[in-house]
Amino acid sequence: MRYDSVTDMIGDTPLVRIDAAVHGLRNIDLYAKMELFNPFGSVKDRAAWNMVRHRLPGAAGRGETVVELSSGNTAKALAVIAGMHGLPFRSVTNRMRVPEIKDLLLLLGAQIDELPGRSECLDPTDTDDPLTRMYHAVSADGAGYLHTDQYFNDLNVQAHVHGTGPEIIADLDGRAPDYFIACVGTAGSSSGVARVLRAHDPAVTVVGLVAEKSDFIPGIRDIDEVHEVGLFDPGTYDVIEAISSDEAIDGLLTLVRRCGTLAGPTGGGAYQGAVRYLRGIDAGLTGRRTAVFIVCDRVESYLSYLRDRRPELFRQPARANSVHSLTGDELAAAPTLDVAAAQAWIDAEQPLIVDLRSPFAYRALHIDRSINIVDDRFGEMLHGGLPFSRRQPVLLVCPVGEKSARYAALLTRMGHPDVRSLTGGVIAWRDAGATLVRD
Amino acid sequence: MTRGVRLVRYLQPRVEGDLRSLLDDHPWLHQVAGALGSPLNLVLPDQVARNAERFREVYRAHHLSGGIYFAHKANRSSALIRALAGVGGGADVASLGELQHVLAAGFAPERIMATGPKSREYLWLAARAGVIVNADSVTELSDLAGIVAAHALPRVRVMARLSGFATTGTTVLSRASRFGTPATGTAPLWDVLAEHRDRLDLLGVAYHLDTVGLPEKAAALDGCLSAMDDAGRHGLNPRAIDIGGGFGMNYLADAGEWESWTSELTAAVLGRRPPLTWNGHGYGLRNEGGTVRGTLGVYPAHRTVAGPDYLDRLLRTESTAHRRPLGELVLDHLYELYVEPGRALLDQCGAVLLRVEDVGDDGRGETLVRVAGNGTDVGLEQHGVLMDPLLVPRGTPAPGGPAGVYLTGNLCLEADLITRRKVFLPSRPQPGDLLAFANTAGYLMDFSAGAALMQPTARTIAAYRSGDAWRWCLDDRYWPVTGREGTR
Repeated sequence: MRYDSVTDMIGDTPLVRIDAAVHGLRNIDLYAKMELFNPFGSVKDRAAWNMVRHRLPGAAGRGETVVELSSGNTAKALAVIAGMHGLPFRSVTNRMRVPEIKDLLLLLGAQIDELPGRSECLDPTDTDDPLTRMYHAVSADGAGYLHTDQYFNDLNVQAHVHGTGPEIIADLDGRAPDYFIACVGTAGSSSGVARVLRAHDPAVTVVGLVAEKSDFIPGIRDIDEVHEVGLFDPGTYDVIEAISSDEAIDGLLTLVRRCGTLAGPTGGGAYQGAVRYLRGIDAGLTGRRTAVFIVCDRVESYLSYLRDRRPELFRQPARANSVHSLTGDELAAAPTLDVAAAQAWIDAEQPLIVDLRSPFAYRALHIDRSINIVDDRFGEMLHGGLPFSRRQPVLLVCPVGEKSARYAALLTRMGHPDVRSLTGGVIAWRDAGATLVRD
Repeated sequence: MTRGVRLVRYLQPRVEGDLRSLLDDHPWLHQVAGALGSPLNLVLPDQVARNAERFREVYRAHHLSGGIYFAHKANRSSALIRALAGVGGGADVASLGELQHVLAAGFAPERIMATGPKSREYLWLAARAGVIVNADSVTELSDLAGIVAAHALPRVRVMARLSGFATTGTTVLSRASRFGTPATGTAPLWDVLAEHRDRLDLLGVAYHLDTVGLPEKAAALDGCLSAMDDAGRHGLNPRAIDIGGGFGMNYLADAGEWESWTSELTAAVLGRRPPLTWNGHGYGLRNEGGTVRGTLGVYPAHRTVAGPDYLDRLLRTESTAHRRPLGELVLDHLYELYVEPGRALLDQCGAVLLRVEDVGDDGRGETLVRVAGNGTDVGLEQHGVLMDPLLVPRGTPAPGGPAGVYLTGNLCLEADLITRRKVFLPSRPQPGDLLAFANTAGYLMDFSAGAALMQPTARTIAAYRSGDAWRWCLDDRYWPVTGREGTR
């Protein structure tokens, strides 16, 4: 297949049936609308392109900056499109909560402005919303901006009215599904698809999924936040249900491990929410029904999100020579020296002095002739074995003598005969009036 | 869910330990309020000492040394200040009056930090007494050096307050601050400190950000570490970083109540349920064509991480510049860490009692409860803290179950409500009952109390345990030996 531009690849995503053995519904065919197949990786490619395409001609000449309130996929798509057209892109956000997305946006050349947190000593009269602050910030720079306004822009909905919705009907041989389930973020995809499906068949049931309050699922708003979305109309949905991040991750795991669909947490939430809702209906059905949910994006950007919530999924085999494996007895037996004894030992034996503090702190002040290997890197080195000769005496120092004692115990266990830890660390050394230098 | 149950939206305060025990003792509360009148402030000096110890535990866990300076502005009680003096705490004062107060309470000068807008008199007393001066600007340092020289005073230890920190990667925006020297332009600061080396001893750098946001504070601490390094390269010898306060407080017992109340407020603003606030006040939210605009301008009353836990979280946060936890970086550098908690140190340290004067209906279906006190006696509205008071009935509680009521004050002003939120109580209050506003010692007690309309201001009493019984004395009569006559 040949294209003139990567933006021509946006849309026309496949509709894939989920194996009944996985979802367990007896009377319902469940289909995934694979929005993760869009070229920049998510359903937001459609909205981003539709909101910006007609405003691109001449924008670079006018010095415009593309601006959007987004910390996720819309920002990603806009950053790519802006870059292709020689425009800067600025994303204003309450908080970048997914580190991979933040790094990806920076890699794409976006500028990210994180809004301040709530005031601790509150001024109740200060109630500007993030949008107002953003307008001030952007116009203060003197240049124009191209604000795509995804939460209020009907072109966001239109992208799905003309794309996603008709595609689903075409792939179901001209029929609307009986059930359509979607997570609500900007409400663009759910509203646009719902509008098309209802026009085709008023009997379709539309289920909107929101995040449980105080929970966080990237790309989904909670039940309060949806009310801040201009495109959100409660009348669009027959049912609005909440899902938890736990359920979203369960759904994600089912999709990635059993369905060959590398979905992110929003897709996982849509799957889990769909199955949960449909299970109650399935039992009472006599004829066959069809349901469609949306897989918004891909899993790879959410590894740290998943690691935070399900560390057991990333279980690593225990590594050799780890300080975490030390016993209390080994720690108690760690060879140590106080400041006076250490000074005498340095004069007599000239041990290798290893300062385990950060390079930044070491540079400012350290024991003369010491070398600096920051503790976590030192730990990495030890996984591979002893990094110095057994005949080389070693004095380990850290701020208070706690970490150095651990590493001294570990090196002793690894067979080093002459390693010591400085009791009380560099603080004790300083307090004893011993010399510290800055090279 | 029935409609009746839906209408009850408690925001019950988190009340624990000694404060719970005291507020459960209804006869005692009626006795003191009967004797001393309404409004009446209660403070628990022993609790503030325990709170300071919880901060110290965080220091120990991170192997850090340095002082915990109580932000005096949060409460002017003498009993609380003296209790802290008694356990070796520090004090952060923000006026000449506060400085005199803590000197008289027995704080040693090295445990006092003078912050805030400073008059020449304030600077003189700070320098004369030998307290640490936390300076907001280069001009202030020059003025201080001038006073030290003119009056032949000893060298003063100073902290340089910084603001406007740069961030890496993303741009973390922060509210503009009135205070501090821009961290991106410190050269004049080092120059003035070097010039007055004999008069000013740079102890370290400071920041205080008015935010609950951890990333902003992490960026500021990162910026302080760089500034310390910079000062060192200019031949100065700073030893401490002061990260201010703002560790926050969790006011509510139940996260679920907070979440459902804020959801219901949104629904009320959109007209989907009856109002939960006086005249449909939106606390910053407004309805524009069926969509909610604005931001909720209230204190996040339920917080899972607050106080010492927040400090711990901050110290465990990784520096973006050095990819190492901030606490470890401070320790690596052998720096001391200073903090200035106000609200967080006063957790569970006090309550305000107001007597119910009158209970009536407003003719529109709302119950109004008029109390002997006003919005300046309990600063819930001024500080955006939303929570229910505890009902302390004088006799048998009224039948009929939970009641949602508006609390009006004793000022002859339409706007004088204790809170614009409809509060919920287990039963309808009756004249003579007391309402106890728990956990209000930090900023919410008499922060801005005045004698408007010549209404009485609250007396403050210190409550302390004597065996199983509670005893009390007037706030200014309390000293750490009070009620402990049996000990030495």
